[in-house]
Amino acid sequence: MAAATAKTRALRSSPGTAGLYAKAALPLIPGASLLPFVAGGGSKIPRTVLTLDGVKATRDELAAYDRVCGFTLRDTLPSTFIHVKAFPLHMALMTDGSFPFGAVGLVHLRNRITQLRPVEAGERFDLRVSTMPLQPHPKGRTFTIVSEARVGDELVWQDASTMLRRGTGDKSAPKPPEAIGASQLPFVAQWKLGEELGRRYGAVSGDRNPIHLHALTAKAFGFPRAIAHGMWTKARCLAALESTLPDAYAVDVTFKRPVLLPSKVTFAAEDGRFAVRNPKDDTKIHLEGTVTAA
Amino acid sequence: MTAGPRSVAVIGGNRIPFARSNSNYSKASNQDMFTAALDGLVSRFGLEGERLGEVVGGAVLKHSRDFNLIRECVLGSRLAADTPAYDLQQACGTGLQAINLVAAKIALGQIDAGIAGGVDTTSDAPIAVGEELRNILLDANRGKSTQDKLKPFLRLRPQHFAPAPPRNEEPRTGLSMGAHQARTGAEWGITREAQDELTYQSHQRLAAAYERGFQDDLVSPYLGLSRDQNLRPDTSLEKLAKLRPVFGGKDGTMTAGNSTPLSDGASTVLLASEEWARERDLPVLARFVDAETAAVDYVNGREGLLMAPAYAVPRLLARHGLRLQEFDFYEIHEAFASQVLSTLKAWEDPAFCTQRLGLDAPLGSIDRSKLNVNGGSLAAGHPFAATGGRIVANLAKTLHENGGGRGLISVCAAGGIGVVAILEA
Repeated sequence: MAAATAKTRALRSSPGTAGLYAKAALPLIPGASLLPFVAGGGSKIPRTVLTLDGVKATRDELAAYDRVCGFTLRDTLPSTFIHVKAFPLHMALMTDGSFPFGAVGLVHLRNRITQLRPVEAGERFDLRVSTMPLQPHPKGRTFTIVSEARVGDELVWQDASTMLRRGTGDKSAPKPPEAIGASQLPFVAQWKLGEELGRRYGAVSGDRNPIHLHALTAKAFGFPRAIAHGMWTKARCLAALESTLPDAYAVDVTFKRPVLLPSKVTFAAEDGRFAVRNPKDDTKIHLEGTVTAA
Repeated sequence: MTAGPRSVAVIGGNRIPFARSNSNYSKASNQDMFTAALDGLVSRFGLEGERLGEVVGGAVLKHSRDFNLIRECVLGSRLAADTPAYDLQQACGTGLQAINLVAAKIALGQIDAGIAGGVDTTSDAPIAVGEELRNILLDANRGKSTQDKLKPFLRLRPQHFAPAPPRNEEPRTGLSMGAHQARTGAEWGITREAQDELTYQSHQRLAAAYERGFQDDLVSPYLGLSRDQNLRPDTSLEKLAKLRPVFGGKDGTMTAGNSTPLSDGASTVLLASEEWARERDLPVLARFVDAETAAVDYVNGREGLLMAPAYAVPRLLARHGLRLQEFDFYEIHEAFASQVLSTLKAWEDPAFCTQRLGLDAPLGSIDRSKLNVNGGSLAAGHPFAATGGRIVANLAKTLHENGGGRGLISVCAAGGIGVVAILEA
């Protein structure tokens, strides 16, 4: 029923994210949102569906992504890599003139990926990206971008990214998902994250949001230093677990607090639950998540 | 303790297709490639989650960060994480020596099953800085004060930034391996035609092996390759004859065709006691009987760099009371066609066999139709440490297919080393 009223737009090529970031920054200029092509014009999330057919990873981009995130270079795509291929469509949706607010300043709250079967590195897949309606949240409002990858008619991958638009909260809003006891998970590894990590992941993912690139650009958006991409942190966790993953699984993470760069973080995991924590204080959780067989 | 050595079964092997340098695997590390070969072997024999006695392997060209390369691969694979592993390095003998060591532990009853193999990349090679820059960096690192730390950099000159890639050169002679073999080949009078003939045969036989599906359960596709990239089924003696010499000067006989190219790849072999194989209902392709390692003094002793297998084989034959002719198959690693032909000629030579090997009579010639029957390194390529695993799995399957028999393996290596082995089925 929702699909019937949604407006579907088929893209012929992946939108370039550099231009979209420039466009994403436009709503920050006072009054710019009055212009029809600048996001911030609408009051509801538009029911747009974007599709992009025949997406395929090149060997080089896969190798570069695997290297930055810590995956072994295999003949299958890490499930988080497909998110990278869908990301330009997310940006295109959020920078559309009918979108109610600008993409810059949105907080990535949660990401859930379901891999129904491994996608071969040489396989072509079709992407379909759509948005769910706004939901109340204690700290503002949230919306979820749903992405799907199909090989032919077969659904192989799903991704739900929930974003928070800070603002007047709704205290009666449903509570976020149950905590998983992240502070108690046993230590697995310490990761030293370099200052350049945001630029390296930006280069392999196309996500060159200024908050990730440099301390100076991050400061302009209120962060003391550059922050690691949430989807890098998630991918790094998945890479640490890769030899234990079944062919079909769901990996669900909540981004709790940003990882400032450079820094050291702790990776902790047990029985399908995992977390990235502050090494000096186990109760300070950057990310927590679960991986379950699907 | 088990009484007496046990029989060691070769269950099977798995490798990734070998790629030419800076091609399909240019972005793959040794760890990526060995993990791919290992995981392929694990799924082929249903070893997911199993704890094996050990995994042994190595690489000739290795980054210093890969000090525990094979253990890291095990941790990234679907084997149980409590499977121990160690690295081994013996130039191009690495793979066969790793197999020998796993086999020896199985024979002694120390372990029941293990995996051995090797990997090499000439694309993702470790690049070191030059010696002068290295000393500047070390001095800076030793400095206590900021001034002490900065002062060494005043010695920095532009030429220091030239990287120092690994060299295919013998440290004591300064000659490349090809240059060494060119001398040996000239000494034995190995002709260009004979080398090209062996090369042509290698390509023909490997292509035929792929065509009849022989490689189907030995090779798993990786990064877009399903066959060895160096394989030229359509090469001809005419084409090979047109290539210019690359070693031995302008009158040299060794070309890019009859010498192995720089290549990338990984191979693994599963070995076990026959009892372990039986319990799991796994096939026994062949038994790993014995191995011998020899070395020659190529620096002052006037012996050719790659002639050590010529010495190792007669010792192994003597230990088993065998003649050179009592084999159904011979797998002589084709580092260079000239190396194979020099070795064969040396065994036929009365002076060499009596004076250098100390034998009463020449070992004699072999039936060339039994040599490298499913192709060799000239066609497949030669990622140094991966070659031993390719050859052992290949010979074990050849013997099994033959319904039994005995096979001899010979692998030459840098440093004047040779590793040889016997398989039986």
